[in-house]
Amino acid sequence: MSIFEYNGSALIAMVGKNCFAIASDRRLGVQLQTVATDFQRIYKIHDKLLIGLSGLATDAQTLYQRLVFRHKLYQLREERDMRPETFASLVSAILYEKRFGPYFCQPVIAGLSDEDKPFICTMDSIGAKELAKDFVVAGTASESLYGACEAMFKPDMEPEELFETVSQALLSSVDRDCLSGWGGHVYVVTPTEVKERILKGRMD
Amino acid sequence: MTKQQANWSPYDNNGGSCVAIAGADYCVIAADTRMSTGYSILTREYSKICKLADKSVMASSGFQADVKALQKLLAARHLIYQHQHNKQMSCPAMAQLLSNTLYYKRFFPYYSFNVLGGLDNEGKGCVFTYDAVGSYERVGYSSQGSGSTLIMPFLDNQLKSPSPLLLPAQDAVTPLSEAEAVDLVKTVFASATERDIYTGDKLEIVILNADGIRREYMELRKD
Repeated sequence: MSIFEYNGSALIAMVGKNCFAIASDRRLGVQLQTVATDFQRIYKIHDKLLIGLSGLATDAQTLYQRLVFRHKLYQLREERDMRPETFASLVSAILYEKRFGPYFCQPVIAGLSDEDKPFICTMDSIGAKELAKDFVVAGTASESLYGACEAMFKPDMEPEELFETVSQALLSSVDRDCLSGWGGHVYVVTPTEVKERILKGRMD
Repeated sequence: MTKQQANWSPYDNNGGSCVAIAGADYCVIAADTRMSTGYSILTREYSKICKLADKSVMASSGFQADVKALQKLLAARHLIYQHQHNKQMSCPAMAQLLSNTLYYKRFFPYYSFNVLGGLDNEGKGCVFTYDAVGSYERVGYSSQGSGSTLIMPFLDNQLKSPSPLLLPAQDAVTPLSEAEAVDLVKTVFASATERDIYTGDKLEIVILNADGIRREYMELRKD
């Protein structure tokens, strides 16, 4: 079994009209054994930028610490927050530093860019960026998520509809994946606010 | 001389996806018509759907040579049944026969993933879903094959069947009308074709109801 599937995860980011949503499951497992059902995989970098780290949880946390550190240095030097595009390049560069001994993570980055244009992006464990216009998925439930998102996505959704779509896609996908699930975490980010919601799901 | 090892496999995977949905008085069975091996497309119009009896239709993906052999065997067994009983086999009977046929080759299996759809003795839609060695279950809807992981969660979302553990047992048929079910099938295949390289070219839909059997086709992406 792949080390990417050691802890189990499901991540999804979707673009709406001047907003975006990023969501994850809440399970932390060690192979088939569930260890925690309130695990955080999505981290806030600043008010309009979130990153989800799927894959090996220990690497996700280490990577997150390095990213926060680098973002703080950027803030001190530049006296502003990082743009999502810049941040994606930073993550990519940090991952590629470890080209031959990678962090076993597949990140999903979502943020509001200049003029509140939504930006979503994913990359592999060695930093190959994939910019998408509609949605990106990652984790052990990625295939299920691709199927669900491909069927449910509509362009230019309002925040409320976007939340519903992302939640439905996440919940129905994780129910077909043994390694992810146990509820969900959804963030809907608009230019004015960040709405964080916790979803109840099947606990099996 | 270095030791040689067998580098030939009796199996190949020809891909493809199958879906079946059971309704109150109809059954929809669908599959794409692409046949592939590795990164190559062998043909864009190969039907994966086979009519086994008047009221049972099987869609199969996996290794098409095994599928062909399986279909041939079932046809022969069904012919014998007709001679002995002077009637067509019912869908639940065909389901059991298919299970036994698959299990007969438990240690050299048919590499085929089947869904059997049809109408039962009361005229209700029924879907039976299988693994390669004959383990089977009657369900309200199912998908099999290379795109099944993409299709199944969306079907769950739209059709959410009652848990099989509920007491008393609930009916597994879907609440959709026939036209809605056909539309749903078209949607899931269009979506699966976007992300699964083994699914595409054309969609073949077989609809069974009291009036008989009907076929529909829809073009899918060819890349």
